[in-house]
Amino acid sequence: MGRYWRVFATFAVAGMVRDMTFRTNFLIACISSIAWVAMNLSFYVLVFSFTPELGLNTGWSREPFFVFVATGLIINSIVQTFFMPSAEEFSEMVRSGGLDAVLVQPLDAQFLITCHRVDYSSLANGMVGFLLLFWSLLSTKWTPTPVAFLLYPLFVISGVTILYSFIIGLAAATIFLGRNQSLYDFWFYITTFSRYPMEIYSGPWGTPLQTLCTFVLPILVVVNVPARLLARPFLMSDTNLAIWSLLAAGVSFIVSRRVFTHSIDRYRSASS
Amino acid sequence: MNASSRLPTVDRSLANDDVIQVSGLSKSYRVYDKPEGIAASISGLFRRKHRTVHALQNIDLSVKRGEFVALLGPNGAGKTTCLKLLSGIITPTSGEARVLGHVPWDRENAYRRRFSLVMGQRNQLWWDLPASESFKLHREIYRIDAGHFDRIRDELVDLLGVRSLLLQPVRDLSLGERMKLELVASLLHEPEVLFLDEPTLGLDVVAQHAVHGFLQHYQSARRVTVMLTTHYMKDVAALCQRVVVVMHGSILYDGSLAAFIDRYSTHKLVTLEMSNAPNPALLARWGSDVEVRGPEILVRVDRTQVASVLPELLEIPSIVDITVEDVPLEEIVASLFRSNDSGNSRTHDGAPA
Amino acid sequence: MTAMQTKSPHSSDGSDYSLRDHFRIWRTMLTISLEERLVYRGDFALGTLLRFLPIVTQVFLWTAVFSAAGRSDIAGYSKNDIVAYYLLAMATRAFSSMPGLAGSIARGIRDGSIKKYLVQPVDYIGFLFAMRVAHKLVYFAVALGPFVLVLFLFRSYFPAIPDVGTIIAFAASLFMAFLIGFFLEATLGMLGFWFLEVASLLFVYMLANYLLSGHMFPLDMLDGIATGLLGISLGDVVKMLPFEYTAYFPAAIWLGKISGPAMYQGLLIEAMWVIVMAAACRLAYDRGSRHWSAVGG
Repeated sequence: MGRYWRVFATFAVAGMVRDMTFRTNFLIACISSIAWVAMNLSFYVLVFSFTPELGLNTGWSREPFFVFVATGLIINSIVQTFFMPSAEEFSEMVRSGGLDAVLVQPLDAQFLITCHRVDYSSLANGMVGFLLLFWSLLSTKWTPTPVAFLLYPLFVISGVTILYSFIIGLAAATIFLGRNQSLYDFWFYITTFSRYPMEIYSGPWGTPLQTLCTFVLPILVVVNVPARLLARPFLMSDTNLAIWSLLAAGVSFIVSRRVFTHSIDRYRSASS
Repeated sequence: MNASSRLPTVDRSLANDDVIQVSGLSKSYRVYDKPEGIAASISGLFRRKHRTVHALQNIDLSVKRGEFVALLGPNGAGKTTCLKLLSGIITPTSGEARVLGHVPWDRENAYRRRFSLVMGQRNQLWWDLPASESFKLHREIYRIDAGHFDRIRDELVDLLGVRSLLLQPVRDLSLGERMKLELVASLLHEPEVLFLDEPTLGLDVVAQHAVHGFLQHYQSARRVTVMLTTHYMKDVAALCQRVVVVMHGSILYDGSLAAFIDRYSTHKLVTLEMSNAPNPALLARWGSDVEVRGPEILVRVDRTQVASVLPELLEIPSIVDITVEDVPLEEIVASLFRSNDSGNSRTHDGAPA
Repeated sequence: MTAMQTKSPHSSDGSDYSLRDHFRIWRTMLTISLEERLVYRGDFALGTLLRFLPIVTQVFLWTAVFSAAGRSDIAGYSKNDIVAYYLLAMATRAFSSMPGLAGSIARGIRDGSIKKYLVQPVDYIGFLFAMRVAHKLVYFAVALGPFVLVLFLFRSYFPAIPDVGTIIAFAASLFMAFLIGFFLEATLGMLGFWFLEVASLLFVYMLANYLLSGHMFPLDMLDGIATGLLGISLGDVVKMLPFEYTAYFPAAIWLGKISGPAMYQGLLIEAMWVIVMAAACRLAYDRGSRHWSAVGG
């Protein structure tokens, strides 16, 4: 285990060296990702100029919703800093044969493939997320309990784990499909579901979708659970959801690892 | 480099035994036959024809510690597949192999720490960073003790004369410089077996020479076992005592380089230097493939005939000088591949070398 | 388009190619790229399917907004209008978006692989255009089914089918949306002749396009927001840019938000943008390739 931490530290330092070598790019990347966030926020501001809340009596008025958005930013920024850049290179690795070099090293292939590149510019969004979180919490009348603050990081990590498992699954799909340029697209589209509170998925179409995205592909619990801790009073149903999200994180991690290992085995037997 | 003192991981009982043992090793895989034309492409959306390619068929091979073996063969012959199998990247369809007592495709870390695979032109170093950063990573992955690591690195770096390049981003280096650093990286954990896949691909003559010189020195000093695939016969002639020729996934020849030349070289190359403009027609009766190069004229003479032909050639009045050599290795191999190809209609396209 | 195909960047070495030669080259390129794309069918089918996901979220979002807002009209749009608008904007984006175009041009310049187009007697822009048409043809071949299905499922959200004149105007605006999208992205990619790194520039473009094309929300929602300058609204500013033609404008035509003289005027301005962007693209290529070969790319 200690060796994995040291290797990861080496990756982290190398990522820092790289980002500082290309300082201008780094800065531009930070600024443009913040611009993306600002654009989305302005859309939400526009939406809240038409309505007091999202969905009647859901409690998602502007400030709680911004707590939700902030949580989403923090979780996504962690994933995009530490895991996404490596996963994006994966399909190219399969195509160019770079995967072979990884497979001969005496270290877990999944670890090397998903963690080898750290992109610090994505942390900028997380920073914006933190600022937004503070601002929203200060502007609401509701104050979360200290326990909620303590549990918040735990459920953020659980959300990150679920998203990481999705990435692993997508990386495995790269091997099954031969090429997967849509990896990032898929990621983008899947995570759009997690961008809004789960209550908006209601009605004859919405409820089944909500169930599907909570229990089969647990994408909705990623942001919803930690956001609920801080955004508004915690309900009994939220507790059940919270327990489920921890379970879902564990299960999806194990399942995705299985799928990934299987796909690597397939690569080993199907290529020459 | 104090070679004898630093081989602690070597299983002494194996020391004189076979390091690599391969028997009945086969590898097949399926490819998708892409038909030409739009209509066929669209129907390919729904239904595909697959075809089995036999990259390696029933290979038997054993390599002793300290041997330097060249795998030769045309593109798609199965050379790289063989190296990938031995390094455990891919699993075979059937057959067995042991390297240093390990089954490669079990991929035990204990095995992966004992060998190294270098693929020419495939960059394992971090592109945007200095090589020293990649080396540090290597140290962590292979758990090399820091003091020991520094000593090994310094030795390798000095041997290859690349100390000044350590702090430059890899992207700024030439192909030859990069290859040298790749070699350093792959040897930092002191592998006992080294697999080299086209290590001199794309390198200029000077860099090729440097790589050869280094490999030769390192291999003989450390007694590591090396398997190398290559297109360049210069690699082979400079480095390898033993040659394994692979064609269509099967071994065609396995033996010493000298015996190989002896067996497959049917002709000698006779070069005559003339005082006047050479006339090719003059020589056609003694040999084949007469060729004029400036004042020189080259003729390929059957080996059994050389003794009788030479005195006759010396009779030619305008002759200034005469030399007799072996036909270049390239030519022997090329003609071997050609003759074998014409007798074998099996398709083998799509199988990377 | 024929005018573009026959004009070579260096008119001297393009002059010995007849229109028919160009057409043959173009057709071959089309065929090759069709074949290439069909090989990666799994990837392609997945990508096509995915495009429908964000719209689902948007529909639910606006449903929630309408349920809580307690009114049936937001900025002139009913709930049904909004859903229809997003679907139409998405259909338009299927024509105007050019995934990977600018990026691949810039990459070609950076790694030098663009050289082969500079030495081959083939017009690079024409080549890219052929590739893109092929891309779109295959995309629509695969996506038509899902599109028809989705539009059928959501048919109750749409107003009555407009008259023939409007449909023709809609089709024309879609075609021009494709052209604007192509030339805009190609021009951006060619900025790579001058700047080594255009990724961040492309990101800014993507951002601007996402916000200003009407992909995110109907642009006339901005009409009520004043810029504080001479009584000009934010909506007025946005309408001076080419972006709205890549999503908002065709959708607004179909929904009857724009009609009569305003529609014809809009079509005229769109056509003007096509010409401007095509000229910019050609200029960027001519100047850029010359600059690039001069500095020894």
